[in-house]
Amino acid sequence: MKIGLAQIAPRLGNLPRNYDLHFVEIENAAKEKADLLVFPELSLTGYTLKDLTEEVALDPAKDSRFQKLVAASRRLSLVVGFVEEKEKGLYYNSAAFLSAGRILHIHRKVFLPTSGMFEEGKFFAPGKNFTTFAAPSGKAGLMICRDFLHYSASYLLFAGGAEMVIVISSAPGRGMSERAGFISGRMWELMGEAISFFSTSFVVYCNRVGFEDGLAFAGGSFIFSPAGELLVKVPELEERTVFQEIRPEDVRAARKKYPYKRDDKPEIILEALKRIVRNDED
Amino acid sequence: MKINGPFVEKILTAFIREELAKFGYKKGILGLSGGMDSAVCAFLAARALGPANVMGLVMPYGRSFSRDIEDARAIAAELGIKSELVNIKPMVDAYFKEHPTASQLRKGNKMARERMSILYDFSAREHSLILGTSNKTELLIGYGTIHGDMACAVNPLGDLYKTQVRELAVHLGVPDSILSKQPTAGLWPGQTDEGEIGLSYAELDKILYELVDLRKSVAEVLAAGFKKSAVEKIIGMIKCSEFKRKLPPIAKISGRTVGHDFLYPFDRDK
Repeated sequence: MKIGLAQIAPRLGNLPRNYDLHFVEIENAAKEKADLLVFPELSLTGYTLKDLTEEVALDPAKDSRFQKLVAASRRLSLVVGFVEEKEKGLYYNSAAFLSAGRILHIHRKVFLPTSGMFEEGKFFAPGKNFTTFAAPSGKAGLMICRDFLHYSASYLLFAGGAEMVIVISSAPGRGMSERAGFISGRMWELMGEAISFFSTSFVVYCNRVGFEDGLAFAGGSFIFSPAGELLVKVPELEERTVFQEIRPEDVRAARKKYPYKRDDKPEIILEALKRIVRNDED
Repeated sequence: MKINGPFVEKILTAFIREELAKFGYKKGILGLSGGMDSAVCAFLAARALGPANVMGLVMPYGRSFSRDIEDARAIAAELGIKSELVNIKPMVDAYFKEHPTASQLRKGNKMARERMSILYDFSAREHSLILGTSNKTELLIGYGTIHGDMACAVNPLGDLYKTQVRELAVHLGVPDSILSKQPTAGLWPGQTDEGEIGLSYAELDKILYELVDLRKSVAEVLAAGFKKSAVEKIIGMIKCSEFKRKLPPIAKISGRTVGHDFLYPFDRDK
């Protein structure tokens, strides 16, 4: 199976240009005979939207341009990011998995960062679920940027049987030292390594590049194997699409060696969580 | 606090190039004072946009600071950027002849705003955007003239402390003649930043880094051994200069108001 990581720089609030960019990337990926092409968070709209949020929102089932993307997924599977108007006046930071001309799954970002430079909670409604779905390569789950930094979310996809966790991201770089690169880059790779190893599943992370209002999106997209090995890392800050072969059956090999999935006890976790939530009073 | 020169250069040149391109500009313009900050900005701009797309405007007040004029022109020549000289003495003198003052601060601020006014006119003539040269130290303590040297279209240096700008200058190869100068706002002859602020940049930047970047409390900063008088002075300067870092407050009357809940990104539809 061949996966493409489209480390692109979407234009802020400019849907027509971003659709064009997607179709160019899809064309190239089809030539590469890729099976799956992953775009970053809010790849159709850009990130720092503020009051533009409602102006670029769409209903994926009805929007004609989005339907062209869905049609293009007959050639290869796609993961795209967009603003979804699910109900009138409720806008979600969403990711869709498109395959064989259908929308297989939509994930709505649950954890909306709202502190310091982040203000997603001012403009988006939060999603409410982490579920897996049957992708062509096996069970998969989607997450959006900050979702992935809450390890409880990864556990839900693990419990749901995910063999591949796909994370799409618009993560600005921040913090510097004497070494090259942003300090924040380490955080994503650290989580990618840990989650792939301990959930014995692939972790596919696609982050964007480019600037918006002075923020430098850091790129550094990667894929980790179910054994926690870094299979590919796209250079930070560079607008570049990289393709990587993976073997879906490597999940089996990893789970033979480390039976974390077989030995998981979701019913105990569930009951323990219920007790914790019940007793958590002010 | 140390920086990685090549990495910071990569980010800032990409920032200059992309930000100008988004607004349909190929060219940048900046005031060249002969000091370190504007030299660093000129080096970055020349590498980001190509020397032919950068103009350094030298705007002295008559013949005072003649060494700075020479240094500014030398930088322009070394980089191969375009450069022009505009003497601001006639307009500044004409104004103060009508409205005389003994205040060096008022004179200095007027000069800074005269330069801003010329820079904006030249930017229109040259179809270029103004590159700012205010560093993080100046922005935090408010050591700059509002609507004067702080005015710009984009600011590549605003997240680097003065001591970090120096590190970047060394990496970029800014000549020693500029690196060895005492930093000065050039408001009057003999003025130095460190003399006027009352602290060395090394001391000032370390304290700012503790307070701002590491988000330490005053008690923690004092416990780390920094001088109480210096810390208090810096906090006072930060508090007093908030107005220089913000758009002026608008009295909210309507349901949707510029600056309050009419919230669009700077790079809208770009």
